[in-house]
Amino acid sequence: MTFARGDYRVVVVGAGIVGLFTAYHLARAGAGPILVVDRGFLSNGGSGRNGGGVRQQWETRSTIRLAREAVADYRRFSSEFGYNIWFRQGGYLFLADTPTELARLQRVHAIVRAEGLPSEILDADGVAARLDGLAPGAVVGGSYLRSDGTLYPFPAVWGVYEAVRRLGVEVALGVDCRAIVVRDGRVAGVATSDGTVATPTVVNAAGGWSGEVSRAAGLEVPNVASRHEILATEPSKPFLDPMVVRASDGLYFSQTMRGEIVGGVTVPHPPGTARGVPSSPRFLTGMAGALVGLLPRLGALGVLRAWTGFYDDTPDGLPIVGADPRLAGFVHANGFGGHGFMLAPAATRRVAAAVLGEAVDLDPAEFSPGRFLGPAAPTTVERLQLG
Amino acid sequence: MASGTERRFSWRGRPTTARDGETILEALAHDGLPSVVRSPRYHRPRGPLCGVGQCTGCLVRVNGRPNVRACRQVVASGDVVENGNAWPSPRFDLLGVLDTAFPSGIDTLHGFRRPAFLTGLYQRVVRRLSGYSGPPSPEAARALASAPDVRTATTVIVGAGPAGRAAARALVDAGERPLVVDRGLRVPEVPGAELLARSTATFLPPPSADGGWAFSLVGFTEPARGFAIRARRVIVATGGYDAALWFGGADRPGVVTADGALALTPAPGAGPLRRAVVFGGGDRAATTIDRLHESVVAVVAPGEIRPEVVRRASDLGVPLYPRTLLRSVTGRRRVRSVRLESRGGGAPFHVECDSVVLAHRRLPHPQLFFQAGARMRWRGGAGAYFPELTDAGATSVPGLFAAGTVAGVVGDDVATSGERAAKAALGAPFDGPAPRWIPADGPAELEGYYRELLGGPRPGRWVACPCEDVLVAEIEEAHRAGYRGVEVVKRYTGVGTGLCQGRYCLPETLLTLARLEGRTPPEVGYITQRPPVHPTPLAALAALREEFAGEPAP
Ligand SMILES: Cc1cc2nc3c(=O)[nH]c(=O)nc-3n(C[C@H](O)[C@H](O)[C@H](O)COP(=O)(O)OP(=O)(O)OC[C@H]3O[C@@H](n4cnc5c(N)ncnc54)[C@H](O)[C@@H]3O)c2cc1C
Ligand code: FES
Repeated sequence: MTFARGDYRVVVVGAGIVGLFTAYHLARAGAGPILVVDRGFLSNGGSGRNGGGVRQQWETRSTIRLAREAVADYRRFSSEFGYNIWFRQGGYLFLADTPTELARLQRVHAIVRAEGLPSEILDADGVAARLDGLAPGAVVGGSYLRSDGTLYPFPAVWGVYEAVRRLGVEVALGVDCRAIVVRDGRVAGVATSDGTVATPTVVNAAGGWSGEVSRAAGLEVPNVASRHEILATEPSKPFLDPMVVRASDGLYFSQTMRGEIVGGVTVPHPPGTARGVPSSPRFLTGMAGALVGLLPRLGALGVLRAWTGFYDDTPDGLPIVGADPRLAGFVHANGFGGHGFMLAPAATRRVAAAVLGEAVDLDPAEFSPGRFLGPAAPTTVERLQLG
Repeated sequence: MASGTERRFSWRGRPTTARDGETILEALAHDGLPSVVRSPRYHRPRGPLCGVGQCTGCLVRVNGRPNVRACRQVVASGDVVENGNAWPSPRFDLLGVLDTAFPSGIDTLHGFRRPAFLTGLYQRVVRRLSGYSGPPSPEAARALASAPDVRTATTVIVGAGPAGRAAARALVDAGERPLVVDRGLRVPEVPGAELLARSTATFLPPPSADGGWAFSLVGFTEPARGFAIRARRVIVATGGYDAALWFGGADRPGVVTADGALALTPAPGAGPLRRAVVFGGGDRAATTIDRLHESVVAVVAPGEIRPEVVRRASDLGVPLYPRTLLRSVTGRRRVRSVRLESRGGGAPFHVECDSVVLAHRRLPHPQLFFQAGARMRWRGGAGAYFPELTDAGATSVPGLFAAGTVAGVVGDDVATSGERAAKAALGAPFDGPAPRWIPADGPAELEGYYRELLGGPRPGRWVACPCEDVLVAEIEEAHRAGYRGVEVVKRYTGVGTGLCQGRYCLPETLLTLARLEGRTPPEVGYITQRPPVHPTPLAALAALREEFAGEPAP
């Protein structure tokens, strides 16, 4: 493939949901010629491998605000983009298996309420009422927010992909970004497997590979790729409304519109993308044990498929959004961990603003790439992570 | 096979009997071809397609357990068997109107978006329609819970067909006691070997580097006893299955693969297939004709018909239609006739029948090789992937060997390849003949067939993926919208994501995309073979949790 032109106003690396939404906001703002490159096929990264969960229950207020804005975006998505993403607000049900865990959920609940969202704290009976077939004694309580929910990631990717193409964005698939061309201390172009293009601005939206892309530009970054496994069962008629999650072991699962149970649980993997993406018996059996321990009836469902993907983790659990102070023209849209899909529409508005040199309404101490450059570690930390 | 005492069970509340050892499907087939389930989206009547536990044509709910394959479940006295997704019955299902109400399909990708205030209602309705049967009952799960079966074996052989048995024999002769795993319900003993029957191997991760019991083979014994076998060597001899075919009404009850016809026909000429059109002109068609015998009414083949098939057909006095397109079938609850056309633009004609038996193409079961990380290669002669093998039968993964149909050898070399693989596993020389490989290149014969077929009219519903009711037109639409490669088209349409794990739709999808994209099938790609090979009960996996809990994550 050769590119339609030799120079672009912006080159976005990564055609996942983050890269595509970034291109969308930029194109709508009339930024000029935009190129998105991806070395894989559409949806081969995390955006085609995730659990579709969208939640607003977080420990940090800034994440709650972004998620809340994204919920409004996803509610509008089907009419705006022409694809039905089946965004179903069946709630997120957080489970506590110990009093300590419940106390933690109560603290989260207080923050979520302070942001104006009507989350609830449930006792064990309250949880059982929302979770048919719960094993006796499995929980001491939980928290619930009805407007959280799940969506189908694929049509979201297709919708934004087609929208950006209609807006004139060029999306080059199967094209690897190999190096960032730097001249006079600022970005001058991108070297790809299909040749070099000139551009003053690169957006790093490479998901689990974004650390590699930043490092290829000579920027030391704290991003760590971590492998996460997930499975889907055979379908059956609906019996589970909320996304069920347990922070103590990272368990999450929901029943999709098609009736499959989809979810995962934390299994430690060595960091990095080197070993590719095979599944492991440890995950399959561990996840099965977690599911059956909680909802014994699930034992009679079969696992249909299992797969893996990469989280792009940061030390403080918050994404990296904004211009890199060390290299003019290099903009980050990465570090989304296990929640980039849900934050994408809202977070990328700020990415686009940063590209266009507009003011960004995010606390630099929480989101800017510069927060890792000072002597002190960032003080705000988002610990409520799953998977 | 079935003899002696009777078993009483209930089917949709009616008392029914089965002979001892019969499956639910066999018991229900006493009264003719059973149609026990409706399709998920259009509620079309469905019947058994494969007879070997790989499709969605016989799904029932047994004692509160959903998605049970009637062809895999031996009847136990007192079983309560219900249909899943049809009301009031699979025969008269009110939701069958969806099939006629949406002649050009139900579009869940773009549809159900307006008006916005109906979103919640659409979601409730569509959700209610999903799935083949009700949720699992707690009692069903309790009944399935069992202690895990953890073993070690120097050599595991997966598959007790001709190749697997030959491999086992060779190992026994060398003084070993191999462990043979087979998912068949009626597997004869393998003398000198240990046999784990009714047991499906579903996951073979890449071997651990530290030698010893390098392999961990995971699976379950019917109904849901999890097993983990630690082994030094694995010989995969999983054989093959008969592929589906695209034509109008290909999902109708009465359309079966040769596997299915053999499973449904207990003795020559017996069983519910009374007037069968056999599609195929090679070995498999010959075998099928021998079993169906008097029930065969015609033989149709996409290409030439081999002499052994011609001879059988003329013995039976049935007509032969070589180089013929099977365009569609008529009939709703059961096939009534096939519409055929001579290739190269012949006028359409009909042959009356009650079934179509697909015996034109046999495909391998290569999933365990993919999972274990073996290097694979495309063999155009079969239109499928096979492990890259040395002449001795060794794959690129040390300790992993292939034998039989999955090895990519031609028909009559299957048993020899078992012995060859066993010798390779033992590190012993093999002085038999060199293997005869399925040719690596050359387009699969079917490519030209589909080019002609899909270029013509499309009477009836053309279902590409019966498990999820994805239409051929949806695959073409994805292509028109600019989506390329089988991985993306799978995600766009849902083709290949159902309970058959893609066995009955992806091979045809691959050929079609290759044609549409002007690329070769391996360029269009192959779906990542994700574990498990067959749906594996969570109960079975959960029981193995301790066994793998301490294992370092790969
Ligand atoms: C198992 C799992 C479950 C998850 N569950 C959820 C969930 O429930 N909710 C949620 O919100 N999030 C979830 N996530 C996280 C979410 O999927 C990601 O945060 C999100 O998809 C990130 O989108 P992205 O566009 O940044 O990255 P990706 O979708 O990974 O896209 C990055 C793209 O960059 C391309 N690329 C990389 N390097 C290069 C290069 N050098 N040149 C060219 N292209 C390159 C890749 O090919 C890839 O397509 C989950 C993730 C996983 C793995
Ligand atoms: S007929 Fe039973 S699964 Fe195919």
